[in-house]
Amino acid sequence: MRVTATRAARRRGVALTALTAAGALALTACSGDSGALPSDDDGGGDGNVEIRFAWWGSDDRHKTTQQIIDLFEEKNPGITVVPDYTDWDGYWDKLATATAGGDTPDVITQEERYLSDYASRGVIGEMTGVDTSEIPADILSTGEVDGKLVGIPTGVNAYAMVADPQIFADAGVEMPDDTTWTWDEYVDIAGKISKGAGDGVWGAQDYGFNEAGLNVLARQKGETLYNADGTLGVSKETVAEFFQTSLDLMANGGQPDASRSVEYQNAGPEGSLLGTNAGAMGVWWSNQLGALSDASGHELELLRLPGESEFERTGMYFKPAMYYSISAKTEHPEESAKLVDFLLNDPEVAKLQLTDRGLPANLTVREAILPELAAADQKVADFMAALEPDIVDNPAVPPNGANEIQDIMIRINTEVLFERMTPDEAADAFLKDVGAAIGG
Amino acid sequence: MTDAPARTEPRPESHPAGPRPTLSEVAATYPERRPPRGRAWAAVRRVLRHVALIAFGLVMLYPLLWMLASSFKPTELIFREPGLIPTEWDFGNYTDGWNALLDPFSHYLLNSAIVVLGSVLGNLVSCSMAAYAFARLKFRGRNLWFAIMLMSIMLPIHVIIVPQYILFSSLSWINTFLPLIVPKLLATDAFFVFLMVQFFRGIPKDLDEAARLDGCGHGRIFLRIMLPLSLPALATTAIFTFIWTWNDFFSQLIFLTKPDMYTVPIALRTFVDATSNSSWGPLFAMSIVSLIPVFLVFLFGQKYLVKGIATTGIK
Amino acid sequence: MAVIQEVARTRGAARERRKGDGKAAALFLAPWFVGLVLVTAFPLVASLYLSFTDYSLLEAPGWIGLENYTAMFSDPRFFQALKVTFTYVLVSVPLQLAAALALAMVLDKGLRGLAFYRSVYYLPSLLGGSVAIAILWRQVFGADGLVNQVLGFFGIEGVGWVSHPDYALGTLMILNVWTFGAPMIIFLAGLRQIPAMYYEAASIDGAGRWRRFRSITVPLLTPIIFFNLVLQLIGAFQSFTQAFIVSGGTGGPVDSTLFYTLYLYEKGFSSYQMGYASAMAWFLLLVVAGMTAVNFLASKFWVFYDD
Repeated sequence: MRVTATRAARRRGVALTALTAAGALALTACSGDSGALPSDDDGGGDGNVEIRFAWWGSDDRHKTTQQIIDLFEEKNPGITVVPDYTDWDGYWDKLATATAGGDTPDVITQEERYLSDYASRGVIGEMTGVDTSEIPADILSTGEVDGKLVGIPTGVNAYAMVADPQIFADAGVEMPDDTTWTWDEYVDIAGKISKGAGDGVWGAQDYGFNEAGLNVLARQKGETLYNADGTLGVSKETVAEFFQTSLDLMANGGQPDASRSVEYQNAGPEGSLLGTNAGAMGVWWSNQLGALSDASGHELELLRLPGESEFERTGMYFKPAMYYSISAKTEHPEESAKLVDFLLNDPEVAKLQLTDRGLPANLTVREAILPELAAADQKVADFMAALEPDIVDNPAVPPNGANEIQDIMIRINTEVLFERMTPDEAADAFLKDVGAAIGG
Repeated sequence: MTDAPARTEPRPESHPAGPRPTLSEVAATYPERRPPRGRAWAAVRRVLRHVALIAFGLVMLYPLLWMLASSFKPTELIFREPGLIPTEWDFGNYTDGWNALLDPFSHYLLNSAIVVLGSVLGNLVSCSMAAYAFARLKFRGRNLWFAIMLMSIMLPIHVIIVPQYILFSSLSWINTFLPLIVPKLLATDAFFVFLMVQFFRGIPKDLDEAARLDGCGHGRIFLRIMLPLSLPALATTAIFTFIWTWNDFFSQLIFLTKPDMYTVPIALRTFVDATSNSSWGPLFAMSIVSLIPVFLVFLFGQKYLVKGIATTGIK
Repeated sequence: MAVIQEVARTRGAARERRKGDGKAAALFLAPWFVGLVLVTAFPLVASLYLSFTDYSLLEAPGWIGLENYTAMFSDPRFFQALKVTFTYVLVSVPLQLAAALALAMVLDKGLRGLAFYRSVYYLPSLLGGSVAIAILWRQVFGADGLVNQVLGFFGIEGVGWVSHPDYALGTLMILNVWTFGAPMIIFLAGLRQIPAMYYEAASIDGAGRWRRFRSITVPLLTPIIFFNLVLQLIGAFQSFTQAFIVSGGTGGPVDSTLFYTLYLYEKGFSSYQMGYASAMAWFLLLVVAGMTAVNFLASKFWVFYDD
């Protein structure tokens, strides 16, 4: 009898489990209408609304954002903002899992490589009720997917050359004129610095791990990394040329050997060539100038990338640092829009976060904070202002699957650096792998 | 592999069967069996062993020492001057790191402590109970259930976490410590069940057979014989649960969304971000701080590892 | 001994009296069973179901039958991941166990300050998942790291141990041996479980150190060796953190450290193909379960239990 009881229990257990499994998955499948936060049972009833705001970053950003939230709650009684933050890598794992569980945060910070993934699957909805009049149209349009505005840029960055004038001087090499220098001159200069500056100091850090550099080169040649329709818009020749530059730099000693390049790539701004005073140039996003300057202890300069006047047109562009998006399933769309509006347009917010989320996209706000900027950020603002007239257009939002390109670039560039692939083979592999990632 | 030895092999036949010699009796036999020069030679060997152990320890510890040294350097010097001795001492990393986040770091230490203590308690009770059943009780389908238990740790966390999230979300457990503690109370950590099964099986069965003949039930055999005799296994379980939970990042990241609830590993992660400035100095300082409890637990906990049958005698 | 042999004789009788302990087992297993049904079973079953679906995490899963499994077997990176993982498991598990056992023997007893040494040797294992670890490894194994400085002292030019595709996996194996702390502790606990009287008796009989190790330590430790073997094997197949941290999450350089779970994670969380990741997970489960079963069968021939 004991045995049959256990058996029955076991059978019931299995059946129960299967039921729960099917039920819970069905639940997520139609979580479109639930989307409930575990803790907002009190929402609505007494007029107090709770919304969740998710972002990534490090401790400084968390602190200022909390101050901004306090300010918002003070000005908007009845709305409570629950922060939800972590670092970059953890952020996307957490966001995807929460979305799968139907607990999408109300206000979501987004990035261009993920925007399309989340928009096309209906996780983030069209932005309404946010005043975007102060944001230039060509910047705003970088938040459109399928003609719908699904993310509003917080601020902009440019992919630029950071240079250390002190190391240039030590090596006895003149700083280039960045409006006219060509890619060949860049290779040449880097080589000279390596020779002049002595052991353990190089001309430049390898740039091949980031697809943004490839995009600039492609645009200079009248191509683009991704077309507006989400297909690849870069030719094999351009990709091969991009990788060839790295090989040329290794050949003339302008950049470290392959192993060191891989290590520096993994070391972030603080451990980079520039950050450790072991190199004169590196390609970075403009907002990283502050971190690089702090780490190096030198006064670093921003230069335009080489080749801006070498080919058909200029290739540099403004990239939205991040976007604010709103969950398509939020129960409180109005309050969420109110928060985003506040984050973008309130002058006090801008004074708190300065350029932490990129040079503000809102032009009035940008103007207002200029006097408050630290030296490095001031340089960024000047650089961007000078660059703006020469920018032809800004690239469209990258297609679904674009976030995979990070890993693909790193993998293929490493193959090239260790000379396990020729630039030609690398170009083929790149087109094939990226094509598969954004096609699938 | 090696032949399974008969139980009597450790004590060769030539030895007369009799009462177990006491420690002092055994010790008394030693001096006579040693050559006169042995003592000096033993001292030299002891010193050599210490030297070797220390040298090896230094190699093992180099990264840790580096982290310790870096925690006293200003962030910008950490990578520029990577040597072990700081040229410039900066204790500010500790105060900065302690206060860098929304709550003082003690808040996160406390959160971690709650999760860890719940997990340790849960694992000790529930895993030892399950292990007793698997090691000593006869019941239908024992091997099958055991296999199922082992299977549950063969799937990587990354595919388990999403269904788990859905499950806990439907119970409204997200953002509480429940998803981290309750599973431990329910013996889901198959590692420790299996560990204790192995230790229980190492305890001579004659002991509980004898106890049964004396009329002891399973409850008493479990409490009075098995648990006291497997103190090393319990200590191992407690120590490992402590350390692994203390360091566990992924599930805590996913299940805790409010910063108030963050634990040490998540708090540490918020010092660095691939896309913006990273506070390496405070990160290293707080990493050192968060290692202290674990190290202390280990240092003091491990004396229980040592209190096995060997020191308590067989009964 | 005579006492024990006497008890052993009565053992048979006792065993006969006991037909089954179903009731007691149900009691002792109650928490585990509840956990199985409530916590363990659902994710297990759900992931099996998901392995037959196209599931992006961001949208509801859709049934696609065996497509994930067929895609898996025509994916070159899947095979690369298998190759990396098998190489790693076959080399590093035995190495780590040997190192752990050797150190446990040294640190067992007979020396002052052993508690301290044990703690110190365990420390590296505590660092395993820390965010700082990638930086720390670079200090040791980087092109300009400690290892190469030492090698340079002897006039040998080193390589970038974690950044060179030919050496990265080997370095990871060494790192794994380096964190032998956990199995070492379990061995230590196991050594303590061996009744001292066996050693005393053997000493009196003049058995040397090696003979005592072979005839007492090893046989009586086999259940623990077996435990470590089984679980290190299960764990090694799921190795993730070290490779993730050292390669910045990419499995690089050039997929040379693309561990199975790393690839699975990449598929699930950055390619948003959780269905494919689940299929990979279940394939892994079958492989590991198979190896574990073989392990258990083989254990009958070498593991020595007291029952």
